[in-house]
This record gives sequence, structure tokens and C-alpha cells, in this order.
Amino acid sequence: MIETDVLIVGAGPAGLATAIALLRNAGEKKPRVVVLDKGRSVGSHVLSGAIVDPSGFEGLLTPEEIEKLPCEAKVVKESFRSLFTAKWDMKIPWVPPMMSSKGFPVVSLTKVTAYLAQIASKLGAEIYTGFAVTQLVEENGSVVGARTGEKGLDKNGRKKSNYLPSEEVRAKVVVLAEGGCGILTERLIAEKGLQGTRPQTYALGIKELIEVPAGTQTAGEVMHTFGWPSDFNTYGGGFVYHVSETQVMVGYAYGLDYKRAEIDPFRLFRRFKSAPNVHRHIKGGKTVAYGAKVIPEGGFYAVPKPHAPGVLIVGDGAGLLDSLRIKGVHIAMQSGRAAAEAILANFTGQDARCPSGDALGEDYFKRLQATNGWKEMQRVRNVRASFSFGMPWGVMAAGLAWMTFGKIPWFRVPGCDEGDAAALEPLVRERLAREAADDVEASPMQPDRLTDVFMSGTIHEEDQPCHLKIKDPAACAACEKEFGSPCTRFCPAEVYLREGDHLQIDFSNCLHCKTCRIKCPKGNIDWTFPQGGDGPRYTRM
Amino acid sequence: MRVVVCIKQVPDTTNVRINPKTNTLMREGVESIVNPFDEYALEEALRLKDAHGARVTVISMGPPQATAVLREALARGADDAFLVSSRAFGGADTLATSYTLSQAIKKACGGKTPDLVLFGKQAIDGDTAQVGPGVSEFLDVPLVTYVKKLEVADGRFTVESLMDDGTAVIEGALPAVMTVVKEASTPRFASLAGWMDAVKAPVTVLDEKAVEANPLWIGLTGSPTKVVTIFPPPTKGGGEKVDARGDASAGARAISDFLAKKGLVKHG
Repeated sequence: MIETDVLIVGAGPAGLATAIALLRNAGEKKPRVVVLDKGRSVGSHVLSGAIVDPSGFEGLLTPEEIEKLPCEAKVVKESFRSLFTAKWDMKIPWVPPMMSSKGFPVVSLTKVTAYLAQIASKLGAEIYTGFAVTQLVEENGSVVGARTGEKGLDKNGRKKSNYLPSEEVRAKVVVLAEGGCGILTERLIAEKGLQGTRPQTYALGIKELIEVPAGTQTAGEVMHTFGWPSDFNTYGGGFVYHVSETQVMVGYAYGLDYKRAEIDPFRLFRRFKSAPNVHRHIKGGKTVAYGAKVIPEGGFYAVPKPHAPGVLIVGDGAGLLDSLRIKGVHIAMQSGRAAAEAILANFTGQDARCPSGDALGEDYFKRLQATNGWKEMQRVRNVRASFSFGMPWGVMAAGLAWMTFGKIPWFRVPGCDEGDAAALEPLVRERLAREAADDVEASPMQPDRLTDVFMSGTIHEEDQPCHLKIKDPAACAACEKEFGSPCTRFCPAEVYLREGDHLQIDFSNCLHCKTCRIKCPKGNIDWTFPQGGDGPRYTRM
Repeated sequence: MRVVVCIKQVPDTTNVRINPKTNTLMREGVESIVNPFDEYALEEALRLKDAHGARVTVISMGPPQATAVLREALARGADDAFLVSSRAFGGADTLATSYTLSQAIKKACGGKTPDLVLFGKQAIDGDTAQVGPGVSEFLDVPLVTYVKKLEVADGRFTVESLMDDGTAVIEGALPAVMTVVKEASTPRFASLAGWMDAVKAPVTVLDEKAVEANPLWIGLTGSPTKVVTIFPPPTKGGGEKVDARGDASAGARAISDFLAKKGLVKHG
């Protein structure tokens, strides 16, 4: 058995901020900090836009370290467009001040994460990748450690010649930094009843890196859009970030509380790229990288109680995201710092024990609530729910919330209360035919889904148990009748295919985005962990 | 028994693209990995450790970053690790590399030739398959290439070597140098506990003085071959597609006509 002081699950911005803050502020007696991540390398499973609000780095990194951040460009020109149809759109004449990100760094979060890992390692954090943490270990109602996943099982679950058993890591405190819809986090929330006022609501974010001919674009120019090809009842929006003169990050996020079962977010993304005012940014381009991830958009009211005895939840896993700006990296890092401060305040010396009960967790939550990120979330707490009544209400609520510092509306706007899966309505088959017919022509910047999946670098050992478990095949048959198997459309990696009566699951395409776990209308898909090290291999996302 | 495994850090060529203007590798976003064939060589060595208690030494020649592949080998169960690294070794071709490695192997084994030196059958970046054989020459011990099964008993080895048209069973006396193919085994995973030990384990760096190399035989000076140019092969055309959906016999006819036209088959 392995013993450590702090075990951090997930080497993303939240987990690494926790590690850095712990080791930087610990003084003489540094705690042992072990960070485990299921990606092959640090950053392999990290994806974001990303224009990062730099406030997350301040106070955590030294000015010299901030100076050296792998920043692709700084935002020099920013615009917002509301898209009504492919060809009809409107440029918002001014950038709303609360949305402005002028001067902010445009980054590949994959690269920033790798950079944070270097800093954490230098400070003494032990970061091990390729290890999925598949289980928390509890004793007397308190989390005391976690177990890594087995490796080397064949597709029937039998041990192969290279079988590696699960290993147990004991820790005085476990910090869950798994990211959006983290599996251990979700299990913990369910088991301990930690859910917030309303369930979490997500958006599926799909992103490509497109290389464009030199001399056609300006580095640092960014555009945000909302609306089309999403309908007015669904929270959808896109972005175009020129990270260099020849590279553009293009993405589309689509609210998973969408109602229409025929919708295929990947197709929406393709259509988005074909809109003239988007297309001109990527003219003559070629897609070179792809990825997808869910964004916890529920905001303030969807934040769970982020702690239980022996365990703290930080970052996206706790839904810590400003759902107006769709920015969470800075709040994730602030939450990591808050967790580190609480741990250091409650443990003194190397033989310190976890304070009994949940005193540590309560202290963490108090510190989290004092961060700027939390206040920001509070201010825009009603925005996401207002959007569930339609785009105009959402926009109005956003404006009001900002101008009045979140005082209006003073009550909690209902909406998104049932969870994303429950929002789905039965399939209207005529619309499915129309949706399937309306597609965009293939081109180097409009690769088909499987070509895109290839460019995500995702890879899974084929001879292992399928990590996407269907709980009840009969429910799939019922879903096919009622909803027309929406998993075959909402999956951005073409994992699910219907072949006659049978649902074929190509798990090796999986991008670990968890959309299927969230949106399956029957709640019939259990997302378990594939072998550690498997999954996407993002390098520039 | 002492077993040395030589491993190389290579770019993950499944992801590599070539800059059409400069004809150089575009390394951005490309990870460095253990040469996959070397993993099979390491696995054979670790199996000898499991079965006979062999001491497994890993050696890599390359820049300081190559320490990463040595640590990975330590995490899987290798006993000690040496990094052969110095500016003086820069620009070495396969001959100079073979010489340098053979000196390093002897140094790592206290001046003696180990019982067994294992290599992957080739590296996926250079694809020459010359360094293993080169080392066997410098160490002056027998060489067996393309090993897919390896057994050792009483100072002798029995191996199965993969040939184009079958398998050769070869017996001989140790010491020997062997290159291993992927058909040999499935490499084991490093455990978390293994990694925790590996990151703390020492990696000894050997430079040209430490390996007592003849300065004329190493680096660029010791390399009789030079890379003159690098260029990607011309892109092949798309080929002809025969769509036989709906009518398989028409498809078969089209293919057979095509082959007949090329004079590859005769219509009977």
C-alpha cells in the first residue's frame, strides 16, 4: 500500500493549482503530494477554448512564471455576433464590458497544463500519468484513499499476461479534480447527497484547430457567437480564436438540455463553420486537431457541497464556472488554492491527522466562497436558467445581473431543474430525415466525424472490457422506439451505431467527454474507466 | 546473469508530419516515446529476471531528456540505468553509435561483456536495424536477429528467430547480442509503486571519458556516413476504386480485367 499526505485525482488546472499552492505555502515541512491522471501525459485529456482570465494565475505563480506561460497570443480584437441563420447575423456594436477579454491570453490549455505540471514537479509534487483512479476507499464514513484501475484485462475481463492489479493509495485527504462530470465525483455527490439546489447542466463543447494560409488572418483576433445553428430555445454559441497568423481554434458549445432528439451537435458544429462570417476566418484552412468535452454550465445553483469527510472537490468537477463568460479555468485554480490553504491550516506537521468530521471541508468551502471566482458566479447565478426560456430572456437576464451586481432578479429563476437527460422530447421522425439531409460538403476544414476522431489521437487497447456499459438492453430498445437512439447522434466520436436491433459500441473512439452518461434519456449508459493511459491524446487543444 | 537492454527515445512517428519546404520533421505537438520495439526487448529481459533472477541494466544514448525512457524502464522493473550523453557524441551515425554503445555496455558491467545484450529489432525513427548488429561486432559476440522466443539455461540460449518464410530455431552459447521482434510478447505495465521508486532511482550519466572512447571513433568524426538530404516520398495517386456494392461478380470481373491488362493474370 502506498501512503501519501495528499492525493489529488486529476492533473488539470484545478488539481495542479492545488499541488502548487500546497507546496509553495507549506513552509519547512512539505507534505507529500501525489497527483494521478488517467491521460497518457499531463494535458492529454485537457481541452478548453481558451481565452483564460489571468486572475487564476495571480498569487499562485510568480510574476516570472506568469511571464513564461505558453501563451499563443493576446486578444487584440474582439467581436460578438448573434447568428440568426447561416447568412443572417448581427454584429453586436459594442463588446459588453462584462464579456470583454481584451488583453487576455489565448492559450492551448493542454500546453498550459503541461507547464503547470513542470512548476508543480519542481516544487516537489509527484505526478503520475496513465493511472485512472477508479474508486475511493472509505473507512467509517470518511474517505481515506483511493484505488487505481487494473490494467491488462481482456475483453471478457480475464487477466492477460501483462495483467497489473489495482493499487491502493492511502491519503490524509483526497482532492477530486476530475473535471466536468468526473465519475468519482458524480458517484460521491450521489452517495453523500451533495447535490446543489439543482442538478448540474452541461454543454457539449466541440473544438478543432485549423491551419490557415499565412497572410490571411491576424493573430489575437477573436470572435464569439451565439445562436444559429442552435435554435432559439437552446443555449448554443461558438468561438473563433486566431492563436497565430496560421492557426485558428474554432469551437461550438451546445447546451445538453436541448429538447429535440434529432439534433446532432457535431453537425451543428459543421454548419457553424460554414456560416459566411465564420468561414471567412478559416478560408483555405485544414483541420489538424480535434476534441470534445463537456462544460458544467449550471453555475452557482448547481454547485454541489464540494466536500465530504476526507475529500474535497475542486474545479469543473464541482461545477465552478462563470456561466455567462463560459470561463472556469481561473475559478478552478482559485478553488485549488482555497483547498490547499484549508489543508495547510488544518494539518500541521507530518504526523498530522485529518481533523475529525468535516471541519476541513467546511473550512475549504468558506475559503472558496471568499474567492473572486465565487462572487462572479453569484453575480451571474440566474443567467443559465434564464436562457432555458429562450435566447432573448437569457440575454436580458445576463445584462440585468451584471448591471445590478446580481441583485436582480433577487430570486432563483427556475429552469434546468430536471437535469439534461429529462429535457429530451420524443423523436419526431420527419425532422430526423430533414436533419440528416441538411449537411455540409466535405473539405479539409470540414472533415467527417471519424477523420476528426483520428485527429484527436484517441486510442484505446481494443482487447479490454468495454468501458461504456449498457445497464439494460431492453431500455435501449425502448429508447430506439421513443427517441430514435439519440446516442448515435450526440456522441461527437461516433462511438454508438445502431445495427438493426443491436447497439454497436465502438468504445475505442471515445473522447471521454461523458455526453452519453449525461444525455442518455434512459440513464442507461454507465461510464466506467478504460485502462489508464487510454483516451484522447490532445497536444494542442 | 547480467542482461543489458539498449533503448532509444524516439518521436512518436504515428503523429509526425514533414514540413514540405524544409523537409524536416515538424516536432510541434509530437511526443517522445520509448522506441516500441525496445519495449519487447525489455520485456524479454524482465522475464529472465523473473525466471532466473537476472540483473537487468538499461542503457540509452541521447540527450538528457532521454532519461525519461530510462525511468520508464526502471518503473517496469529494470535494476539500473545509464544515460550515454555528451555533446561529443552528437551527429553519430550507426557505426559511431554502435562503438559508443559497446564501450558504454562494458563500462556499465564493470569492464566485462554481459551475458546478453538485447535490442529492439529497429528504431521507428531511423529504421536502420544496424545498431544491434554493430554492437555485436564491437563486443565480438554472436548475433541473433528477429528473436520472437528466448530461453536461457546453463549458459546457453535457445531462440526462435522470425524469418520471412518461417521460423529458425537457433541454439548457442552466451554471451550474445539479440534483436527482438514484437511477436515475442506483450510488454508489461509499470505499476504506480514501480514509478514511485523509479523517479527516485539514480541514472548514471556516461560521457566520452567515462566510456573511454577513442575520440576519432565517436560523434561526427567517427561517422563515415552522412545524411545528404531528407525528403518525403512522392505522394501516391489515389488508385482505382471498384465499387462492387450490389453486384459482386461485376466487381470481380473489373478487378480480373485490370490484372489481365497489367499482364499479371491470364483469363482462362
